[in-house]
Amino acid sequence: MTRKQNSGQKLSRRQFLTGSAAMVGGALIAPGLVFASTPKKPKEIIVRAWGGAWGEALKAGVADGFTAATGIKVRLDFTEDNEIKPKIWAAVDQGRVPPIHVNWDTTTNATISALRGVTVDLSDLSNLKGLLPLAKPIGLKGYPLVNTYAYVYVCAYRPEAFPDGPPKSWNVLIDPKFKGRIALYDDGIGFTPVAVLVGGGTRKDIPNNMEPAWQFYRKLKKNKPLLGEDADFTNWFQNGEIDVACTISVNARAAKQKGIKVSWTVPKEGCKVDTDGLWVPKGLPPNEEYWAKQFVNHALTKEAQQKWCSMLGLPPVYPGIKPPPDLVGDVAYPTRPEDFKNLLRIPSKVLVENQPKWFAKFNEIFQG
Amino acid sequence: MSSDKPAFKYPLSWRILDHAENVAALWPRRWSPLTGYLLLLPALLLVFVLVIGLVYIFDYSLHELDLATYRLKDAFSLVNYHVALKSATYRTVVLRSLGASFIVTAITTVLAFPYAYVMVRARSSGTRKFLLISLFLPFFIGQVVRAYGWLIILGKEGLLNTLLASLGLPPIKLIYNYPAVVLGLVQYMLPFAVLLIAPAITAIGEEIELASESLGANWVKTFRHVVIPLAKPGLVGSAVVVFTLTLTDFAMPEILGGGTTDFIANSIYDGFFQLSNPGLGSALSMILVTLGSVFVTVLFSLAGTGTLVSRENVR
Repeated sequence: MTRKQNSGQKLSRRQFLTGSAAMVGGALIAPGLVFASTPKKPKEIIVRAWGGAWGEALKAGVADGFTAATGIKVRLDFTEDNEIKPKIWAAVDQGRVPPIHVNWDTTTNATISALRGVTVDLSDLSNLKGLLPLAKPIGLKGYPLVNTYAYVYVCAYRPEAFPDGPPKSWNVLIDPKFKGRIALYDDGIGFTPVAVLVGGGTRKDIPNNMEPAWQFYRKLKKNKPLLGEDADFTNWFQNGEIDVACTISVNARAAKQKGIKVSWTVPKEGCKVDTDGLWVPKGLPPNEEYWAKQFVNHALTKEAQQKWCSMLGLPPVYPGIKPPPDLVGDVAYPTRPEDFKNLLRIPSKVLVENQPKWFAKFNEIFQG
Repeated sequence: MSSDKPAFKYPLSWRILDHAENVAALWPRRWSPLTGYLLLLPALLLVFVLVIGLVYIFDYSLHELDLATYRLKDAFSLVNYHVALKSATYRTVVLRSLGASFIVTAITTVLAFPYAYVMVRARSSGTRKFLLISLFLPFFIGQVVRAYGWLIILGKEGLLNTLLASLGLPPIKLIYNYPAVVLGLVQYMLPFAVLLIAPAITAIGEEIELASESLGANWVKTFRHVVIPLAKPGLVGSAVVVFTLTLTDFAMPEILGGGTTDFIANSIYDGFFQLSNPGLGSALSMILVTLGSVFVTVLFSLAGTGTLVSRENVR
C-alpha cells in the first residue's frame, strides 16, 4: 500500500481558500470550536450587575455576544453591589469559591476590593491596548480592575416644574418651592463633592475642608429630600413624587425612554463624573477564572463597547465610538476635554479614603 | 392447611411504627428521662449556632477598620462602641426605633385584642373562618410586597390622593415619613399579635364571663376585671414579639421611610455594606441585641413570661 505523501507539497490557492472558508464557516456554525485549545468551559458564568436599564444593556451589549462567541451562558446576578462585596471578601478569605465570576462595580468599590487584595490582575487582557486612559485605574499597580465607561451625576428635573427653563444652580435643591420633592442618593454619592462648591467652597477644599458641603446639607435637610437608590429615582419621577434629583444620567434617560417627562442639565457649579468597571475575584477554579477574564476582554471590544454604552447612553473607554443620536452634544455625554471642564472628577484614592467619612457625616445630618 | 392463601400482612403504617419502636428500643431504658432532651437537641443546636455567630459579631465589634486595607485591625479597641454611642445620629436612630417599637406595640395590642376576642368567641363558624383567613392572608404576601402596597395606596398618585383630587382637594404627602413607617409596621404586626392573644382568650372559660355578668358586672367591668387580667399571658407574649420584631425591622423603614427614617437595622446594614465596616455594624448589632434583651427581661420580670413559656399562667 502506498501512502500519499503530503509533506513537501505546495498548498494550492484553491486548497488554501477552501480550507480557510471551511474554518471560518465552522467557527460561525460552532463558535465554541475556535476556543478548542483553551481551558475547559464552564456551563455558565455569573456576572453581578445592576438591574433595570443597566442589566438590559449589559445583557444585550456584552453577555449575548459573549455567549454567541463562546457558547458559555451568562447569568446576571442582581445582588446589590454593596452586598456582594463582603460575600466575595469572606469567600476569598476563607478559601471558598466566590459567588460570582465577574463583578460590575463602581470604580470606588472596585478599588476598595483591590486594596483588600481580592481582585485578579487583568493586565494580560489583549483588548486593553488602545483604550482611552480612563480605562486604567489610578493609583493601583497593574489592572486589578478595568474601567469601562464614564458617567455623570446630572441634575434631573421634570420640565413641567421648571417652565422658565432648566435649573441653573444646584441651589434649586434648597428652594422651599420644591420642599419634599427633591431626591439624592441615600449615601450622598455623586453629590457630596459638588455640595462643597454649592456651599461656597472650591475644588481645592476637597477633601480636607468639607464644611461648605455639610452646611449646604443642613439647609437641604430642611427641604425634606427623599433619599434612595438608582431604581427609586425612576419610580419617583414616574409616580410624580419628585421634581428634581441628583442622579446618574442613565436613570434619567431610562425614565425618559419610558415616556416619563424628564430632562437633565449640568448646573453652573458642575456635576460629578465617575467611572464603573469590571473585575474578577480571586479564588475561582483556573478554567473559570480564564473565562471570566475573557468576558471582561469581550466587554472591551469595539462591538461590545458600542452596543453596551450606547444603550446606557455613556461614553465608553474604547476610542472613537460615536454617541447615540439622542445624546450628541449632550452635557451628560462628555467626550472632548472641554466637556469635562464643568465636571468634577475625584481621584479614586481620595474617594476610597474619604467616602466612608463623608457618608457618616451625610448620615449624621440626614438621620440625626 | 391451605398454603395457597397469601401471607397476612399488617398495614404499612403499622409496620413502619413497629420498625420505629424497634429503633427506639435501642435507646437504653435507664436513659428514658433524657428522651425529651434528645428531641430538644436539634433546636438547641440551632440556638447554639446563633450564639456562636453572636460571639463572632461581638469579637468583630472590638476591632477598628483599617481604611488602608479595609480589614479589621488585630488590636482590640472600643472605638466602634465609642462611635456608636457618642454619635448623635445613632442616638436618634436608636430612639426612633425604640419609640416606634412602643407605639406599634401599643396600637397593635389595642387593635389585636378585639379581633382575637371576636375570632375566638364568634358563634358563627363562618365568621370565625373569615377572621382566621383574613389573618393568615397577609402572611402569604410578605412584608416587602405589603410595603409596596402602601406606596400604591398612599403615594402622590395613589388611591387616596386620587380620591382627594376627585373631590377637588390638594394631594397630601402620606408616605416617606415616620407615620407611614409606623402604619406599615402596625399592619405587619397585627396578625402576630392576634395569633399570640387568641390562645389566651381561648383559655378563658365563657362561664367565668357569664358568672361575672350574673353577679351584676356589666360588659365593661367584666372585660376590665375578668377578661383582660386572664388574658395577660397572651398580651405579654404579643408585646414581646411585636416589640422585638419592630425594633429589629428593616424593610418598612427602608421602603416607607424615604431614606430619612432609618431604624437600627438599617444602620447596621449601612455599617456592614455601605461603609464596609463590619466592626461598626457589629457594635450596632450588639447594642440592638442588648436593647431587645433588656426590654424582654424587664417585661418578663414585671408581668411574667406570658404564653411564651409558663404553662401554669394559662388557665
